[in-house]
Amino acid sequence: MALFTKGIPFSKKDTTLSLEVIDTPLPKRVILPMKQYIGEASQPVVTQGATVTTGQLIATAPTTTSLPLHATLSGTIGDITEFMDATGTPTPCLIIEGDDTDTWAATPPNEATVLASLSPAALIERIHAAGLITNQLAPVPLATDLMPIDQPKTHLIDGQRITKKIDTLLITALDKEPFLGVNRYLAGQNNTDLADGITALKIITGASFARFVVDTHYGPYPQINELVAADEAETTTLTAVNGRRFPIGLAIPVIKAALGREVPLPYGHPRDVGVALYDIHTAIAVGHAVNTQLPQVDTLITVGGGALSTTGIVRVRIGTPIREVIDACGGFREEPAKIILGGPMTGMAHYDLDIPITKETEGLFALAHNEIQLSGDYRQCINCGRCVTVCPVNLLPGILSLYCAKDRFDMAEADGLFRCIECGCCDYVCPSRRPMVHLFRHAKRQVMES
Amino acid sequence: METHYIVSMSPHLRGTLSIERMMQTVLIGLIPAAVMALYLFGIKSLIIMVLSSATAVSVETVIERLTRQPLTYKDCHAILTGLMLALILPPSVPWWIPVVGAGVAIILGKMVFGGLGNYPFNPPLVAWVVLKLSWPERMSFFIEPHTYTQALTPLMALKEDPSLFYSYAMRDLFLGTIPGALGTVCALAVLIGAAFLLYRGVIRWHIPISFLGGVALCAAILHGINPDIHPPVLFHLLSGGLLLGAFFIAPEPVTSPVTPKGMLLFGFLAGILTMIIRLWGAYPDGTFYAILIMNAATPLFNYLKPKEYGRVNRA
Repeated sequence: MALFTKGIPFSKKDTTLSLEVIDTPLPKRVILPMKQYIGEASQPVVTQGATVTTGQLIATAPTTTSLPLHATLSGTIGDITEFMDATGTPTPCLIIEGDDTDTWAATPPNEATVLASLSPAALIERIHAAGLITNQLAPVPLATDLMPIDQPKTHLIDGQRITKKIDTLLITALDKEPFLGVNRYLAGQNNTDLADGITALKIITGASFARFVVDTHYGPYPQINELVAADEAETTTLTAVNGRRFPIGLAIPVIKAALGREVPLPYGHPRDVGVALYDIHTAIAVGHAVNTQLPQVDTLITVGGGALSTTGIVRVRIGTPIREVIDACGGFREEPAKIILGGPMTGMAHYDLDIPITKETEGLFALAHNEIQLSGDYRQCINCGRCVTVCPVNLLPGILSLYCAKDRFDMAEADGLFRCIECGCCDYVCPSRRPMVHLFRHAKRQVMES
Repeated sequence: METHYIVSMSPHLRGTLSIERMMQTVLIGLIPAAVMALYLFGIKSLIIMVLSSATAVSVETVIERLTRQPLTYKDCHAILTGLMLALILPPSVPWWIPVVGAGVAIILGKMVFGGLGNYPFNPPLVAWVVLKLSWPERMSFFIEPHTYTQALTPLMALKEDPSLFYSYAMRDLFLGTIPGALGTVCALAVLIGAAFLLYRGVIRWHIPISFLGGVALCAAILHGINPDIHPPVLFHLLSGGLLLGAFFIAPEPVTSPVTPKGMLLFGFLAGILTMIIRLWGAYPDGTFYAILIMNAATPLFNYLKPKEYGRVNRA
């Protein structure tokens, strides 16, 4: 078992999820933002009033950093209005008023393709056409993130040109936080597209090794064990970690725990240490996309929080408004204090229940009043050192927060401000209730804008 | 009716530790020492503790009122400062010593720097040093427990004649039936309180263990060189204000380093300095002076950071 000693060990009581999939009916309308990732927005190709079928292309990708957008419901196109997306930015969205029939668009003839015969470029093309994104905290189109082996990426770190070949494909069966459960659920299931997805990813990245990272507290993992055993070349292995220790699910800590490699901070990427990191959800989506060439129309999210009647895993059509998901889960049990898209440690609080669940959403949490604590009047840093104990990237968050609070952003940057991965562990343990992540984000913004 | 949801930054969950809980835990950890003080030195010790704590809270509240700052007595830091100061005073001091001391601790030790979190030196120790330098005879006047006759503390006796350590039984040092300050005589009471603090996670092992380790190392070397005039390690560990200093005073969060390596060096050097003062300094016990000097160096110890993550090695 790989050890990870930083971060916060949440208790069993807090993190036991019911990995039950809740059935939800078809939504009445979907709201599709033109941009559900970091990159360029898509361009709509349909007009108001047009009838669309599920899976039909409704927006094209004008540049390499954008993705095509497909209808996730059959119905009529409404206005193009601005809604707040999951990151809090108003984004133009296409609204589809559903017609309850869920008619699918004509699919391409399903020629049985042998995966190994497809070139990496062809595979990336299929992934791009399906509209897939990565699952990191700052998601980008998956096609942009993958590195064709015939074009190694070179970029500068500290003035040096880095060319690194990817040698390991890391597939995590962990979620970003111990409160989310989609990957843990999928890891225990028998997924038809997982093996193909992994093969496709290995072809594209050129990785010779594949490694699964699983949570010791969940299981068993029959399909993963089978995949490990079936590889005669013994290049597929399994690592177990304690999934209750947040933030083991985030990219940088999991690479350190599973492989012992440190991604260069602040501007590094897993490929700088030769790793391609994707979660099981993405791997299955990749397999589905290259096999069937169908676009992604739904996603799995975790719903939770003390204010919801039922909690668990939900399969939702992309674009479903939050309100409909909550109603499908039985509504509120009590008036929630916060509505969060994402997980309770790294997600974003929202105030409008009419905004949609999008591709990058991993969770929907309705936290009750007794589950949250507000910063309010925070005190001075008392140098207790708890934040230093928990920081997964070895910073001194308390001292950094003092610099940021006194507007000494230059000193904060010199002390490692941009190495912060904004996991929130320091904030969680601080006895003075200092809003650390808020201060760091503010400081980063000030430095980047100056 | 409009429903309002709270919109604030992640993380949306927080742990339960607060300054109040930390201070209250330390106060509970001091109860055994306070109770033993009452038993050994009588009602006088209660008067000293009450006067010191009450003065500390009052002075802090008055200053905060005058400077129009929010009142902070609820976080229990002032009352803790007062009690800690009381426990390092001799039991025979007149009533105005703890009052003046608590005032100095709060004003000079804490408020002039801006309150909790901003001060560089340990406030009870600042007050102790001011009292010791201003009224040296009263601060060196110690009494036997129960009989209240004037006597020397073990370390004071050692300054007169180093071989006198033979006349003190370890049991007396452990249970506190020796002359000394209110809270420092009974090692057992301090250790019980320290165990509670460690269990609750309010202090970490780095500073106490390295502090005691530094003292133990020096004492062992010296005792090995000449066992007739240098006491054994256990004598040094149990005498003076060392245990209280190592477990309660030195790990005070504001004035001690934040990094593990920094904490270890801080404690170790404080231990060495304590022994140097005990052997060759003018004062019988060097613990509090050593802690104060190391407090000054805390910002330097904070440079001993954990290994920088993700450093790109220039191959």
